Amino acid sequence: MTTVKPVVVAESLEARKASRLSVLGFFMALPPMLLVICFVGAPILIAFTFSLGWTTGPNRVVSIIGQEIHKKDQWWGTFGAYKDVFHDSRFPGDLRTTLLVTLISTTLVLTMALGIGIYQRMIGGRIASIMTILTLVPLFVPVVIASWAIHTFYAGDGFMRTLMSHFGIDFPTLTSTSTAIAIGTIWTSLPFAILMVTSGLQSVPDALIETAQDAGAGFFRIIRTVLIPLALTPIVIAGTFTAIGIMGSFTIPLFLGPNQPTMLGVEISNFFGSYNRPQQSIVMAFIVFAAASGIAFIYIWANVRSAKQSGRI
Amino acid sequence: MAEVVQQDGLVLNGLTKILGGRVIIDDLHLVVNKGEMVSLLGPSGCGKTTTLRMIAGFLIPDKGDILLDGKDVTTLGPEKRPSAMVFQNYALWPHMTVFNNVAYPLKVRKMQKPEIEKRVHDALGLVNLMHHKDSRPGQISGGEQQRVALARALVQEPDILLLDEPLSNLDAKLRVKVREDIRELQRRLGITTVIVTHDQDEALSISDRIAVMNNGKIEQFSTPQELYDRPETEYVANFIGSLNHVTGGYADGQIVPGSDVVGIRPEDVHFSNEQVSGSFPATVELVVPRGHFCEVYLKRADVELRAFISANVPTAGKQGFARIGKALVYHDGKLIRVA
Amino acid sequence: MARKDKARVKTSNPLVKVLLVIFMICMAIFILGPLVWLGVHAFVTNWTYPNLTPDGWTLHWWTKVLDDSALEAAIRNSLIISPIVVLCSMVICLPAAYAAGRMNYAGRKTFLIGMFAANSFPKIGLFASIATLYYALNLMGTVFGIIIIQLLGTIIYMTWIPAAAFAAVPRNLEEAARDAGASKFRVFRTITLRMAMPGILVAIVMSFLASFDEAQGTYLVGAPAIFTMPTEMYSLVQNYPIQVAAVFSLLLAIPSVLLISLARKHIVGGQLAEGFQIK
Ligand SMILES: Nc1ncnc2c1ncn2[C@@H]1O[C@H](COP(=O)(O)OP(=O)(O)OP(=O)(O)O)[C@@H](O)[C@H]1O
Ligand SMILES: [Mg+2]
Repeated sequence: MTTVKPVVVAESLEARKASRLSVLGFFMALPPMLLVICFVGAPILIAFTFSLGWTTGPNRVVSIIGQEIHKKDQWWGTFGAYKDVFHDSRFPGDLRTTLLVTLISTTLVLTMALGIGIYQRMIGGRIASIMTILTLVPLFVPVVIASWAIHTFYAGDGFMRTLMSHFGIDFPTLTSTSTAIAIGTIWTSLPFAILMVTSGLQSVPDALIETAQDAGAGFFRIIRTVLIPLALTPIVIAGTFTAIGIMGSFTIPLFLGPNQPTMLGVEISNFFGSYNRPQQSIVMAFIVFAAASGIAFIYIWANVRSAKQSGRI
Repeated sequence: MAEVVQQDGLVLNGLTKILGGRVIIDDLHLVVNKGEMVSLLGPSGCGKTTTLRMIAGFLIPDKGDILLDGKDVTTLGPEKRPSAMVFQNYALWPHMTVFNNVAYPLKVRKMQKPEIEKRVHDALGLVNLMHHKDSRPGQISGGEQQRVALARALVQEPDILLLDEPLSNLDAKLRVKVREDIRELQRRLGITTVIVTHDQDEALSISDRIAVMNNGKIEQFSTPQELYDRPETEYVANFIGSLNHVTGGYADGQIVPGSDVVGIRPEDVHFSNEQVSGSFPATVELVVPRGHFCEVYLKRADVELRAFISANVPTAGKQGFARIGKALVYHDGKLIRVA
Repeated sequence: MARKDKARVKTSNPLVKVLLVIFMICMAIFILGPLVWLGVHAFVTNWTYPNLTPDGWTLHWWTKVLDDSALEAAIRNSLIISPIVVLCSMVICLPAAYAAGRMNYAGRKTFLIGMFAANSFPKIGLFASIATLYYALNLMGTVFGIIIIQLLGTIIYMTWIPAAAFAAVPRNLEEAARDAGASKFRVFRTITLRMAMPGILVAIVMSFLASFDEAQGTYLVGAPAIFTMPTEMYSLVQNYPIQVAAVFSLLLAIPSVLLISLARKHIVGGQLAEGFQIK
């Protein structure tokens, strides 16, 4: 019996140390969590009650200032503001633009990132490295500038039309169209997607590609059966971040898009500011949030999948 | 350029490879007969992996030819060569099950499903891993992963099997077991095999012939026995087994003054209490137990010799007589005489 | 010798080569074109469509921008607020990043995913929601309010990237240092922190840019009392000729270019990508 005792003591010491670390870790993580809870979580929650027609307490001031405020008529609130938004003649067009731009831009960004990443991984060489460096340039450029630069580039008196007119081509004025929004979002989203995807593809060990080659697999089969499955997590992460970023974007559609229909980001701002209809503005934010949450779920799934695969769960 | 011999098996003819501006493989010749198991043995950085990768098709030699069963495959890509390679870290695809890993080469060859199933089962049976066919590589042990990699190579029914230090990640005991498994399989299937290793024990115990490499060249290519008995260069003698080095000459079982190098295997040094012909007086300096034998340091007036003695081990400080059974005499690093 | 290593794919096909080069030129026009086009405008008097060259060259717009007191105030505000934001962010987030990277406290995953969820609510909607709170707390139109708004955008960079960097420091290196007689703090300073430094550097750069480029929230909270460079851009593009916006853009791009060049090696080297995978 006496020999067992010290072991038990040592074990509980370990456990105590671990739990102390755990408590310490929790407190170290607290400041940013508090910040997020106070200035992201709480406002969103309060805003949610506001969207349901809770106009007292913290929502009192904004309810007085705003117009067309719906007050709750049930114990839980009202769907008045939601009905407003869904019946608004502009909303379907805005929603369609938002989803379409998100879908098209994300697809194109991922395709470009995969194309360039795979080319760099499998073939390499000067063209590949020039291309990667080129696609990282937008990282250096603030969104406001980028939007404005693209605005002038595709404007009626912009470069594209200037150049093409000398070849006798009447290049369309893209500025103030949804195409321009797509161009802008692709432009700004490329670097992050490229970084994620290339780093994922680069971290696939050479030996895994070479064994596939040795087994007789050709170029495209290696890409399909080895390269992409092994880099799937970073690829999915790149896709979800790109999609979420694009969906909530504001500056790009503001500078590049048409007045109507535009992306919901701009409309949220319009309703809040110009039209002074804060409740409807918040409702739209929640609609975008709902869509983004769907995408966020894919992101979390990808992370869990990769943790499972490497045996961490 | 040496004449190309028309023959079965693998022929490396004057291979040269320059990497990073350095000559890594220098005019290398090697002929591996069909069904033979050959080791490439040498110190780290001597070019073993480079040679193997040229045979597999991952590297293309700057000079020279590679012939497989009489066919020139020098510039063929790895996917077109009838060779299969097992990588040092096994290189199993983590996102596929064991079954799918092994089935991959067959799927690439567009084989029918039932046929694939059958062959994969055969291959997994061969390496005793049927019970793990639905596991992922991350869930099985190192030795088992090694066997999966082997099964994946064997399922291709390659004309030549290439193994790059396949055992270096296993512990000592498992290493011995797996290397015997590999040897047994190789014999049974009669598959031409080149195995890279820097472990002389491994090379000696499983190969038909061993190519000892040094600085991108082959120093000697012969059977394990011959390599041990007649190492053609001082370098090989040093690399294979232990060796006592004495500068001098050798005559009538005695070391005499001279300028050559006399190499004596510790097992060829005998010690006894009585003087016999050819023996000379010596003192036991130190005795180091080595398991089933003892390493004994003997001292004569001018030379010190190590001896491996397994019976009647003397104690330190004892005076007696040493006798040299066999000596290798080298001049300028080349073997000139065995006495 | 004409033979080549890594004969993975033959790019010897001239058609493929030509297509690749064309694709590269298109990408170059797509990415660099707008920047060059805007940049050139900072130096031209006027540009009449559809001439290929401007009417004339001038530095007039630069003096105009540098003499304008509103623009100058915006530049000054940006250069003061952003460093403060980064510093606050470091103080608040780095301990949390260390905890997330090295300790397995309860709710660690929840923490990382919570940070991510916060990021997926549309920014503009969040700012509209925060406005309510800001009115209540009297933070509208204050520098403090702007700092908090910008801080929110940096949190994801300042927690995730350093967390991955801390997690990647091999434990046995620290243990070896402890073994060599170094104190806990010394090990942290000379080993852990040193090895996590590239990740922290990337986080600092990304945070600075996130703060420096933040326009939507800053506009909502700051306007019309306080303008930073990007929010000034909003009114600039409406009220001034394109050349002024071009000059301002070039000025606004200077810090980004400087900082990213500084950390380019680590950003491209995977620190950024590493940070965005929850482990
Ligand atoms: N791509 C390369 N560029 C430049 N040098 C290289 C390259 N590949 C290998 N080398 C050099 O070639 C030499 C031989 O390498 P190789 O991998 O064949 O050695 P090895 O005999 O397999 O050694 P080890 O037992 O350590 O695996 C080494 O000195 C290595 O540095
Ligand atoms: Mg090697």
